[in-house]
Amino acid sequence: MPPIVSIVDVVKEYRLGKVVVPALQGVSLEVHPGEFISVAGPSGSGKTTLLNLIGCVDTATRGQVSVGGNDTGKLSERQLTSLRLDTIGFIFQSFNLVSVLTVYQNVELPLLLARRLDSAERRGRVNGLLEQVGIASHERHRPSELSGGQRQRVAVARALVTEPKLVLADEPTANLDSATGQNIIDLMKEMNRRKGTTFIFSTHDPKVMEHANAVIRLSDGRIAGRDLPRGPAEARA
Amino acid sequence: MISAFVVLVRIALRNLFASAINLVIGAIILFGTALVVVGGALLDSVDRAMSSSVIGSVAGHLQVYSAASRDELALYGDFGGEADLSPIQDFPKVKRALLSIEGVRKVVPMGINAALVASGNTVDLVLAELRELSNRKAKKETGLEGELEAQKQHVRQIIRVLRGDLEKSLAVMDKSAIEPEDLAALEQVSKDEFWAGFDRDPFGALEFLENRVAPQVSDADLLYLRYVGTDLGEFLRSFDRIRIVDGGPVPDGKRGFLFAKFFYEEGLKLKTARRLDKIHEALAQSGKKIAGDPVLERYVRENQSQTRDIVLQLGPEKTRLAIERLQRALLSKEQELSALLSSLFATDDSNFQERYRIFYEQVAPLLSLYRVRVGDTLTIKAFTRSGNVRSVNVKVYGTFAMEGLDKSPLAAAANLMDLMTFRDLYGFPSAETAEEISAMKAAAGAKEVDRSRAEEELFGGALVTQGSPVAIEESAVLGVRPRSRAEQLEDRVYTAEEIESGVVLNAAVLLDDAGRVPGVLRRIEELSGRERLGLKAVSWQKASGILGQMATAMKAALFFSAGIVFVIAMVIINNAMMMATLQRTQTIGTLRAIGAQRPFVLSMVLVETLVLGFLFGGGGALLGSLVMLLLGARGIPAFDDATYFFFSGPRLFPTLEVAQIAFALGIVTLVSIVSTLIPAVVATRVSPVVAMQAEE
Repeated sequence: MPPIVSIVDVVKEYRLGKVVVPALQGVSLEVHPGEFISVAGPSGSGKTTLLNLIGCVDTATRGQVSVGGNDTGKLSERQLTSLRLDTIGFIFQSFNLVSVLTVYQNVELPLLLARRLDSAERRGRVNGLLEQVGIASHERHRPSELSGGQRQRVAVARALVTEPKLVLADEPTANLDSATGQNIIDLMKEMNRRKGTTFIFSTHDPKVMEHANAVIRLSDGRIAGRDLPRGPAEARA
Repeated sequence: MISAFVVLVRIALRNLFASAINLVIGAIILFGTALVVVGGALLDSVDRAMSSSVIGSVAGHLQVYSAASRDELALYGDFGGEADLSPIQDFPKVKRALLSIEGVRKVVPMGINAALVASGNTVDLVLAELRELSNRKAKKETGLEGELEAQKQHVRQIIRVLRGDLEKSLAVMDKSAIEPEDLAALEQVSKDEFWAGFDRDPFGALEFLENRVAPQVSDADLLYLRYVGTDLGEFLRSFDRIRIVDGGPVPDGKRGFLFAKFFYEEGLKLKTARRLDKIHEALAQSGKKIAGDPVLERYVRENQSQTRDIVLQLGPEKTRLAIERLQRALLSKEQELSALLSSLFATDDSNFQERYRIFYEQVAPLLSLYRVRVGDTLTIKAFTRSGNVRSVNVKVYGTFAMEGLDKSPLAAAANLMDLMTFRDLYGFPSAETAEEISAMKAAAGAKEVDRSRAEEELFGGALVTQGSPVAIEESAVLGVRPRSRAEQLEDRVYTAEEIESGVVLNAAVLLDDAGRVPGVLRRIEELSGRERLGLKAVSWQKASGILGQMATAMKAALFFSAGIVFVIAMVIINNAMMMATLQRTQTIGTLRAIGAQRPFVLSMVLVETLVLGFLFGGGGALLGSLVMLLLGARGIPAFDDATYFFFSGPRLFPTLEVAQIAFALGIVTLVSIVSTLIPAVVATRVSPVVAMQAEE
């Protein structure tokens, strides 16, 4: 099966005035469909930059990034936006829900942007997802009326509503207490198993990493290693 | 698509009440919209009121005049006098051509000019009557003795008043300040011998009185008389806003003059009576009080001090009657008329109505209240176009008012005269006048003299005959010929052809439908070019001159102020939306990250302002409509001459049309969009990367 994400010799540099700051220095990586991968590393190691490039919200300085078989360097801004809409779901560290919309409306929003389903289909899909993430009873609430964990559940539902092949989660548990964080990772894992959606999430929480099929370790903008995590039983021991 | 729009509106609505600055913007939009609705509706109502009055009173829908004219036509006058128009030479041809255009209902010929008319002082008028009687007596008419005697007594009464004035002056002034000749003349005509000799040489005595006594009374007025010369019959049939107030219309085809009622009251009525009318009107209609109102108080003072107009008008018999009546009405024992009149006119808020009634019931029947009465012949002297002075006599048939404009000095000061008289005065005499002039030339032996031979022709012949003074027979000079000529003119009935086949300066064009003005204007221009009519056609607004432009200026002022409000609104909306956009970069970035294209973000910001615009703009339109409803029910009173003209009456009852609300909302929408464009474009530039940046 071809990889869903393929990164070859990618360099990303930021310019701060006259100083060039390297964020990624020759990263190569392949992610296959159905994987549940964690990107780990200390702050500043390039985790977010890597996710930005995979998520097509940023472009590489050099090298090639392919998502779902599309070379992102060759796509227009409009095509990149369409690729994000159709292929990628996002879960953010700060949840990033639209504060003026209800839970239901937040989850429905990507479907409205995609314009593929009629309103009955949309309703069915959104309700199903809200059930699955266990937030159905809160569908009329606004984000400000929810706890952090509930908000991130809404974000998970929003990321999955278009049935993307790939979900990117940037430190999804960073703003949650450990029990809630655990719940969210369980939820993501559940979705990964049930729908076969590929998940790539960054974290520096060892407990969160335990759930991954593989952990990609970043250090100073380079891949320091790709290894299997210790199993949860092992970690608990 | 619709669902996406619903989401946009939902986001917009939620954001709307999330920020206080939106309420400030809303208030500005609300005010601006209300201003546009109210101002626009008011001006449209003024426009409609004014247009129906102006169109229906003198202008017609369009005016045509010669394209060769130096000035532009100004029906209500222009700064610095009347417009200099070239005449339309062949009016019948022009009329035929204009009537061939579809939609043209009537074409009424006109000419506008002005003259100064001396109304004559009271003494002149009394002396003129005495002269008339003497003339009739000289022509051996009998049975005039009683009238003659009464008139002589009236003159002697006037002389007594003048002497009284002079004596009062002598008491307070140095004798050298008074002309000794005036004094001597007064003394002479006070003597019984002067009047005993009157019958022997009435015209000599009259000449002395006219030249030496009358000039000592300085109550003569020079009146500025503006007149529209027109085909009076056609005019009255065409303009539905004109109605006859006193007298009657000038019979079809006859020469004649109609005073504008306003001018007649303002310019020709006895000033004391006019001031009483004005006080009466102010108290009754405007609910004013004399006490504390400087204008009304001045009127009262002037009436008390200026009683001489009345005193001079009354002969001995009428003076006696007036004294008797006033003594009874005022319960006074005062013997002197002027003192009685002074106390009659000493009015205040408590006694005014009573005194007003006494004046009109007891005193006014003894007086002639107007300098020129209906039925009188008016002498008008005017400068012709070439600068000569011409004078004509014309009979006054009545007065008229222009409905809606009857109290506006700007509009109602123009009087009406027949076109033949107008042509005579303007220096384009009719065929018969031209004929008469050549007959007079022949009779006087005048002949055309070549300029180069002028000296020889005039002085080169026989010696100038030595003249010797001879007495002029007055009755012969004033005799049959000139009067009969005036009477002939007065009685002459002109055919429509005669009236039209002569010079006119401009013509009113009336249409079936006011909406056709622009189309007919174009057609006239085409036709004029094709048939070489040399015409210029203007709409009634343009023809109204300064006044028409004042309405436009008022509109410009309104739109300017509304414009300022909206420019301020634009700046504030722009700033606020920019701030809102910058505060919402995280949300916008998230939307972009999860797949919102740039147009969606653009629409989001625009829809937000549009919702704001519609909500508060709608509120403003509603507020404006309520204000208009209120104004429409109550009416707006005219507060001065100009507003009287614009309102076309004492009160304007404005109306509101859906188009005005739509216009206001359209402007609000435009302003909203324009002011949000920059923030909206900035919003589309927000990178989706922003979403990934953690917000602590």
